Amino acid sequence: MAFLEIDGLRKRFGNVEILKGINLELEKGGFLVLVGPSGCGKSTLLNTIAGLETITAGEIRVDGRAINDLHPSKRDIAMVFQSYALYPNMTVAGNISFGMEMRGVPADERQKAIDKVAKVLQIGHLLQRKPSQLSGGQRQRVAMGRALVRDPKLFLFDEPLSNLDAKLRVDMRIEIKRLHATTGTTIVYVTHDQIEAMTLATKIAVMRDGEVQQFGTPAEIYNNPSNMFVADFMGSPAMNLIPATVGVNGHGLAVVMQREAREPISLPLANAPAGLSEFKDKPVIFGVRPEALTDPEGAERNASAIATANLHIEVVEPAGSDTFAVTNLGGKGVVARLRADANIQPGSNTALAFNLTKAVFFDPATEKRIF
Amino acid sequence: MSAIASSSRQSGASTKVLNRVVIYGLLALFALFYLMPLFVMLVTSFKTMDEIQNGNMLSLPKAPTFEPWLKAWGQTCVGLTCAGIKGYFWNSIKMVVPAVIISTLLGALNGYVLTKWRFRGHTLVFGLMLFACFIPFQSVLLPMATILGSLGRFGVSLQNSIGTSLGLGNPTVNLIFVHVVYGIGFTTLFFRNYYEAFPTELVKAAQVDGASFFQIFRRIMLPNSMPIFVVTVIYQFTNIWNDFLFASAYAGTGDAMPMTVALNNVVNTSTGVVEYNVNMAAAMIAALPTLLVYVLAGRYFVRGLMAGAVKG
Repeated sequence: MAFLEIDGLRKRFGNVEILKGINLELEKGGFLVLVGPSGCGKSTLLNTIAGLETITAGEIRVDGRAINDLHPSKRDIAMVFQSYALYPNMTVAGNISFGMEMRGVPADERQKAIDKVAKVLQIGHLLQRKPSQLSGGQRQRVAMGRALVRDPKLFLFDEPLSNLDAKLRVDMRIEIKRLHATTGTTIVYVTHDQIEAMTLATKIAVMRDGEVQQFGTPAEIYNNPSNMFVADFMGSPAMNLIPATVGVNGHGLAVVMQREAREPISLPLANAPAGLSEFKDKPVIFGVRPEALTDPEGAERNASAIATANLHIEVVEPAGSDTFAVTNLGGKGVVARLRADANIQPGSNTALAFNLTKAVFFDPATEKRIF
Repeated sequence: MSAIASSSRQSGASTKVLNRVVIYGLLALFALFYLMPLFVMLVTSFKTMDEIQNGNMLSLPKAPTFEPWLKAWGQTCVGLTCAGIKGYFWNSIKMVVPAVIISTLLGALNGYVLTKWRFRGHTLVFGLMLFACFIPFQSVLLPMATILGSLGRFGVSLQNSIGTSLGLGNPTVNLIFVHVVYGIGFTTLFFRNYYEAFPTELVKAAQVDGASFFQIFRRIMLPNSMPIFVVTVIYQFTNIWNDFLFASAYAGTGDAMPMTVALNNVVNTSTGVVEYNVNMAAAMIAALPTLLVYVLAGRYFVRGLMAGAVKG
């Protein structure tokens, strides 16, 4: 039995259904990231776990106990808010101990707990300051301290890094990951940033319009997206989703894509699955991540199926660690990811290698994965 | 090219100076016009009657004297009793302080509920509260008198049955009641608008921390409401202290008469010569508390108290 179980959860505001039957589970010590575009219901889902929003149907269980009818303070959870929500009239120590004070913990025990948390987060020198005297990163730390001090069964993070600048965000991301590794707490984390999701999670739930699109480990989500939305949302630059048709090349199946002002290219699919032949001569969406479309020298050595094609390069974007080249296939801009020192010129025709073992196919009508 | 540019810049600068002169000149004129009566009051209150009758209204007192102030405070006649206005001053304090505190706290509580504990129809309730701000005083005079009358009768029967009237029927309590009821509309409006912008996440965090409805109000909302508290207290204090209509209607005679009514009676007492200096001093005394509230509370009117609650 999983530690956190969400079972058929529904949430309705009037006639609008915000959450349409959510089923998730998370093992003890796991790190679940809820990710999706704004308005997908991920924050509402977190608030229902916290008890700040009521639910219309379903059940939320933590450690086998149904908590969905309990008051937030009785659920044995702690929450870190997007704006940190530090009480401006209290000192850092007051902020951290407010919950204990409300639960009637004696003063000397509170002091001990504050000192312990201050040590873990290295905020001992800030304890007597007011939140207005802290920097963004320090406020973030105090907000985490307030959650840590409760020693709850479940931590809830609501976009905790979105108010920080880019560099600090990376630092705090690592810090959260380290905290999770050392304390072994169970965390549910909401973000719209797919990099945060990939780096932090042990499980990711990609959400859209109140539904979970895919639920799995970061590797599953990244390599085996179940539909075009997940494929497009996770990864940066996004996966290339190229309109194509399934054709025949020699004895086997091939994927055929239109090029601008030239004959279509046809890539042989060496070990195409049997299912794909049903789509012969039909349109499909051919999905290939930018790193699976690269210069022939940079292509993965141990990939079993590599197909090379000569492509017209429209734009070259040197990004320092990589060079991105944009070409046009099937009427869409397609991004290839090359080595930083790749010698490539815009306007030239260059051979690029498709790593077909990493390629995926979608049905354009249903947007679902075919293969 | 450059000659044209510099001359146009010069003419631009001179227009700017002219604008300033006109603006500040007008402002100074208005300020003078507004302050003149106050000046006359102040200088007159320090003059002897001789000087008032024979001298210029605007001239400074030749031999400044505190006599009129002392007389106004302790000896002048209000109606038929001649014990000064000090008793009425305290009457006003006893009435205004509880009325301001109660109405402000109720407004804060209403604002808290209307923004952070929303219920079905909260906009309607707020709309009705807002509507209360537009009810003219005069239209509630008679109905309110009827209500106060029945409260007074209820107080008498309480007195007979349990030995205490709980203050019902007491004119001071009546005035407090009227001012609280009338003030709630305004104080609710102030606090609701302030709390509307108050970060709801603080309330949620306190809920997760296990704080109850009133604990959140007392520990989180109130300590972070200083600016709006000051605004509301200044507003309510000034309004209630200066109120004449309710005061004269519900406590216009007898011992509970507030300052404003007493001042009116001082000025209207027609025995012998009109003591302008005493009248002016009494009026100044009547105006002092509101001035004092502005001076004292204004210092705490600090903005940016919420800095640090959310990302700054």
